[in-house]
Amino acid sequence: MFVVETGVNGMHQTAFPYPPYPRGTDKTLQMFIIQATMQRKLIQIVGIIWTAVYAAAIVWVYATEPRSLKEVATNTQVAAGVYEVNQEKFNNGLMLFRRDQFRAARDEWAGADPAQKDARTQFYIAYAFYREGWGRIYYDHTLFKQGVEAVNRAIMLAPNSSLTVDDPDLQMHTAAEVKVELEQGTEKSWDDLNPLGVFRKRK
Amino acid sequence: MKDYADRNRQLLQFILLPTALLTVALLGGLRVDAQTKQFIFLPPPLVTLLLAVLLGSLFVRSGAIELHRWLAIDQPMLTNITNLLSLVALFFASAQAFNSVLPESGLLHWMFSFFFLWTLWTNQFSAFDTRRLLRSLTVLFATAFVLKHLLVSGLYAPEGGWLSRLASTLLQGIAISGPGFAPATGYISFFALALYVGALLIMSPASLQPALTPVPILIAEGSSTEDNTDRRSLTSPQD
Repeated sequence: MFVVETGVNGMHQTAFPYPPYPRGTDKTLQMFIIQATMQRKLIQIVGIIWTAVYAAAIVWVYATEPRSLKEVATNTQVAAGVYEVNQEKFNNGLMLFRRDQFRAARDEWAGADPAQKDARTQFYIAYAFYREGWGRIYYDHTLFKQGVEAVNRAIMLAPNSSLTVDDPDLQMHTAAEVKVELEQGTEKSWDDLNPLGVFRKRK
Repeated sequence: MKDYADRNRQLLQFILLPTALLTVALLGGLRVDAQTKQFIFLPPPLVTLLLAVLLGSLFVRSGAIELHRWLAIDQPMLTNITNLLSLVALFFASAQAFNSVLPESGLLHWMFSFFFLWTLWTNQFSAFDTRRLLRSLTVLFATAFVLKHLLVSGLYAPEGGWLSRLASTLLQGIAISGPGFAPATGYISFFALALYVGALLIMSPASLQPALTPVPILIAEGSSTEDNTDRRSLTSPQD
């Protein structure tokens, strides 16, 4: 005796129990039962995998909080490890930076590295904040604070938290140097009142 | 023909249902900023989790979810896992459906939350069947949707419609302000709620049961099913 679940009209719907089936069972019936069981298992396995992947994607979206579909695409590239800086925009930014057009340069670099995942680009953005915020009489604290944020990102992204940029046009080549300059610029001290400060030089 | 019906029912239960519920969980917390048109993802507030628990309890009490059919020791493990995932997805979809129709902050947020809590709590002690519960929930969400996305968003509108002017006149001294969301937010919320109600309809026992109720039979060894006349019901029908 064995059990087969079947519809009231005699058509088989679900097979129970599982093989092996006893001798003498109709071969066509056996094949049908096996096929139905396999199909059901396949759909369930696909369902489990799909649900897990979709749920993970939703958690990831809520964790990264992309602000646009473009940012979703960028975040996906970062997650997949295929994210790359737009070199053309980076070079444009560098050209503008060398012409002292710092704000325009930062815009270009922001476009080149929308996910803010490239240490070198973030270093240059911090440097642009430093140069724009630097003044003989006083420093622009707002720009310097933004510069500190950018250089911190650069340091976090750099391997071993140490970043060196070999650019002969720069006077500071490491992220640590830029960070110190920016942090000193945001601090208030008696040195700010020193009239000799007008002779200091921008790095 | 029967084979297609079975397969489609399985696809509906194991793939389409969790997909629909998870899509509700994704869209329920999505807003679009009115000025920048940027996405804002709001995770479900704590109160919506509480509301989802109460709603889940209602589903079980009304028979919309027959737990002994969804999770049973005598079912294959894969079936139990897929059903468990669907139930978890239902919980988060419910939380996000509430999140979708709750004002984000301020006095209105707490007023809406209180009314939801009150409704769901009193319903716990009412006699409900599946059909009545689904109707009741549809009306509840539709009312909340109209209140939030038509009336309250009218109050928050930056250009200040007649409702905003009327409210500011009536409620002098009471600050009614909130985040401004683009009209797309209302469309997203509408789609999410429609999908949620659709998923609830799929989950209802009537849609997941086969059209022909399976009757397990005993077949004598060596005999074909066509000859069998000894039919006895052994188990309750499974999905």
